[in-house]
This record gives sequence, structure tokens and C-alpha cells, in this order.
Amino acid sequence: MRMLGPNTRPAANCLMLAIIPFLLVACSAEDIYLYEVNQVSVSQSGVDKANQKSDIEFLSLAYADLFGSTISAQQLNSMVAAYSSMGDKTLIADMIIRNLLQVPGAQVPTNAQMRADVDAFINDTYKKFFIRDPGEYERWYLHKFITEDPEVTPVMVYYAFLTSDEYRYY
Amino acid sequence: MKRRDFIKKTSLLGAASFGVPYLLPTGRLFAKTMERKVNHVVFCLFAGGLRNIETIAQAEGNLMGSTFAGASSAIPGLDPIPASPYSGLLKNEGTLFPEFRYREGPTGHFNGHTVALTGAYTSTGLNLKANPVNPTVFEYYLKHNSPAVTSKNAWWVSNSLGPYPALNYSSHPSYGPLYGANHIAPTSLLSPESYPAIANPKQFQFHEEEKIKSLRSFLNQNFDKEGATGVGNVNSEADAAAIRQFIADLIQKGLSGGFNTPLGMPAQYATNDIFTILFAEEVIKTFTPELLVVNMTDVDACHQNFTAYCNNLRKADYAVAHLWDTIQKTPGMANDTVLIMVPEHGRNLEANTVQDIYGRFGLDHTGDNTSREIFALILGPAGVINHNLSVGTAVAPVGESIDLVPTVANLLGFDSNIPAGFLPGKVLDQAFV
Repeated sequence: MRMLGPNTRPAANCLMLAIIPFLLVACSAEDIYLYEVNQVSVSQSGVDKANQKSDIEFLSLAYADLFGSTISAQQLNSMVAAYSSMGDKTLIADMIIRNLLQVPGAQVPTNAQMRADVDAFINDTYKKFFIRDPGEYERWYLHKFITEDPEVTPVMVYYAFLTSDEYRYY
Repeated sequence: MKRRDFIKKTSLLGAASFGVPYLLPTGRLFAKTMERKVNHVVFCLFAGGLRNIETIAQAEGNLMGSTFAGASSAIPGLDPIPASPYSGLLKNEGTLFPEFRYREGPTGHFNGHTVALTGAYTSTGLNLKANPVNPTVFEYYLKHNSPAVTSKNAWWVSNSLGPYPALNYSSHPSYGPLYGANHIAPTSLLSPESYPAIANPKQFQFHEEEKIKSLRSFLNQNFDKEGATGVGNVNSEADAAAIRQFIADLIQKGLSGGFNTPLGMPAQYATNDIFTILFAEEVIKTFTPELLVVNMTDVDACHQNFTAYCNNLRKADYAVAHLWDTIQKTPGMANDTVLIMVPEHGRNLEANTVQDIYGRFGLDHTGDNTSREIFALILGPAGVINHNLSVGTAVAPVGESIDLVPTVANLLGFDSNIPAGFLPGKVLDQAFV
């Protein structure tokens, strides 16, 4: 092994000094980078809904959204028979929706529940029927609509959503 | 054009027509319109397939005692139905075309209905799930009548579902659902099957409806597409509300036993045809429509039961007499309505092999000459329609199925507004005074 002579020591010291910081860094605890997805809610915007629900999809989804369960074949047949028997589909759909809102078991919040937390009601309603979060303007409008008018009921809000254009699309 | 835009523009046009008449360059008010002969037409498709042998020739005796003179049928197996609900014979109040023809195309029920309602023969088989290619009489009326009218004035009352709902508008690019009639299949809508879906609708107060409308309008403004498009006819909000109330009233009437003896017929003898005419009469009494088409199809039992065919023919005859009686008792329609009754096609000369319990063989309809031989009867006020007149013979037949739409258009005065080339048939003006 070739030894460094005395005339080489200053250079060796400089070398050591240069290496030490690297050694210190190399010996420190390693940072662990963990890549993961932030917790954000993902929902479809209204603009992205390009497909019109078929008649049966519309009726069965309205039932599922209101009752939280799948519609039975007998109930669906009943609604399809009525729906097929009128030419004005907007009119007969409206009649069916109005009827559904009266059927025992429809999961409509009470007025007190809605007014206890209006923002939560608005969020839940958009998610239930439009499968998305409300925009800021929508949230503001609905909040104002509900809070400034004590006569507005959850049934009225649900009925408006179920008979809206957006509810016809997915 | 969006449906809502259409409704708004139609409403505005209608309002403008009434409120601000204007002079065209020709010096006339409004567009050129032929003078109406009457303000209402009821078109009864006396359908299901009827042979002239049983109707005009009365081979089994007279099975249409409300319409024609002749010794009543005495064949075994006939139900004891009430006497004619109308005081006179229908034939005496109109012009009969005893040798009318369904000249071309398959002799199928839907084909026959389609030809009668579009005024154009169909040379090929029809897609039973599709709207007709050619515009229907409803679309011609709602598009070309001047001044503009809403679809509350045009009704298609069908005996059943199946393909028939598709006849309220066509797939023609210049017409379509914007000009479609209000279709209703009452025996399906007001059936025990449908009741649970519509029998107890939530009712909102007027001020609640206004708030809901406001919210829905907001929701719709934030969405770039229109609701269920291209799947039905269009009613304005006011018309829709009236129709919704009409249906609700019918439901209540049905639930309270109001239809237990339909048209005065004992319930055990009532057919779908009887109920269909009953509800057509309810439409007439409620809306006094300018154009109403109703069909009956129960005689089609003839495929397997000739005696039921005879029975149902008698009941259909009874029903149409009741319909005419109701028209004459309805303010606004009495003496201002023409009723056209015509089968969609006939039935074969040769029987099939299916016997009923009386030993009579059934009849199909597969396109022989006899299945193209039908009749047409046009009833109306004495000053408009020739009474007790018969036009055409077997040697020299007059009239065919494609003539019906031009005749309706002429009666209501909008025929000259229909573009040339759409309707190959002729107006049956032999019936007119």
C-alpha cells in the first residue's frame, strides 16, 4: 500500500474535511417519501352527464333514491304500465314521482332535520340525486332558498330534484 | 328547438294570433287556410279486422243494429246486450262507403292503423317498436292548423298498449313529438296494475307549486341539457295541470264505482272496447278536442272464436252509437262534429282450422282480397255531410284507407297548408254537402 508522506498531509486533511459532511449526511436517518392520494371527494360534474336515462332506469333509480332499496318487479311493472299509457312522458313521470313521495317508507328528512343543518341537507340532496357535490353558487342559492322561506319543505326540494333535467341524465 | 322553447313560442304565437292580427302581403289575415267544415273530428278506428261479409252483407244477420237496418242476428252464443243507446240509425245520419278498400301492404293491425293515421301505405313490414316514418294526422293538424293550437286539442285514445302508443307522432324530421297528440291507453292507465303507481299523488298548494317551479328552474339553468327529450308529446304547464286533474278525477271515479256499468253495459258483458270508448267520451266531455282518434280491436278474437267476433262486433257497434250520442249531448261538439268510423282492414274469405264451442271456424287476415274489403261511414251535421247516402259498389268501389287523413285535414281546414307530396290520397268529398 502506498503511504502518504508528510508532505502530503495537508492535502489529506482537506480531503477528510470535504468528505465529513458527506459522511454525516450519509449516516443521518433516511427520509421516507410515501406517495398516496389525498382524501378528496370525487364526483361527476353536471356537464359530464351525457347519457339520458332510459324510462326503466329513470323509474327504478327514482325509487332506489327515495327508498334506499331496489324496486321490486311488481312495483316496477306497475310504474312502467302507467308510464307507457300516456304520451306526455313528462306529465306521467311527474305523476309517478308525486305518488312515490306519498308511499310509506320514502326516506325524506323531516323539516326539523333539514333546518337543523341546512348545509348538510343540501350536500346530501345533491349527492343522493345528482351524484355530485353542489357548486358554491348552488350551495349558496339552496341555503338562501331554504333558510329565507320557512314554508319550504324537504318534500318540495326532493320533488324539484327528481323532476329536474339533470336527474334524467347520468 | 328545445321543447320548452317550442311551447313558449307556440303560446306566444297563439297569443299573438288572437291579440295582434296582421295583414299578410296578400291582404289576408293569417296564412291561407281553407274554411273549416266543422270544428271537431272524431275518428273511430272500428278495428281488429272486420269483413264486409258480416258488417255490410249481414251474413250472420245484423250484428250492427245501431248502425244499419236489418233483422237482428239470432245465432247462438250472443250476449244479451242493451238496445242501441242512440235514438236513430247511424247510417241515416251520414254517408256510407260500403266498398272501401285497404288497397296495399300487409293486412296487419299495426299496418292498418298506421295507414289510416298517416295517409300513406306501408309496403314493408313495420318495426313494432318504432314510430311511423310518415307524419300522422295529429302532426299535420298540430303543425299546419292556423291559428296554432296545443296538443290538448288532439287525442289518441288506444284500446291497448303494444305498438299503438307509437302512433301519436312519427320519426319524420320535419314533424315528430313536438307535434304529437296526447296519447292515452285508459284501460292500462286506469287498471289495477297501474293504480298503485299513480293513485295517490302528492298534491301541493299553488304557492308551493310556485316555489318548486322556481327551484326546478334554478336547477335546470345549471344543467346544459333538457330533460327527457324525444320521448313524448308536449303540453304547456297549464294543459298538463288540466290533464293531471283529469286523470286524478278518473281515478277517483273508478275507485268510487263510477265505471261499474260502462256505457250502460252490464259489467259481465263489457269489453276493452267498451271501456276505451267510455274514456274517449270522458276526454270529449272534459276537453272538447278538435281531433280525437280512438280505436277498438276486440273483434280480433275471430282468430280463434268466431262467436266472440260476432259478440264483440255488436258491442263495438253499441259503443260507437253511445259515442255519437255523447257527442250530440256535449256542448261545443253537438252539431259541429264529424265522426268517421272505419275498420283498419278486413279478414280472409277462407276460414282457418280453429273451431269455437259452437262449431264455427275462425278467420285470419293474411292479405287476400276479402281482407282488403272494408267500409267507411262518415257521420255529421245535415248541412255538412250527406245523410243516408251510399257511395260506391263492388264493381266500382269508392274510397280507400289513404283518403282518410286528407279528408280529416279538409274537414278541419288545414289541408292546403300541408306541403305537396306528403298525402297521396283524395278527399272523400262525395260525403260533403
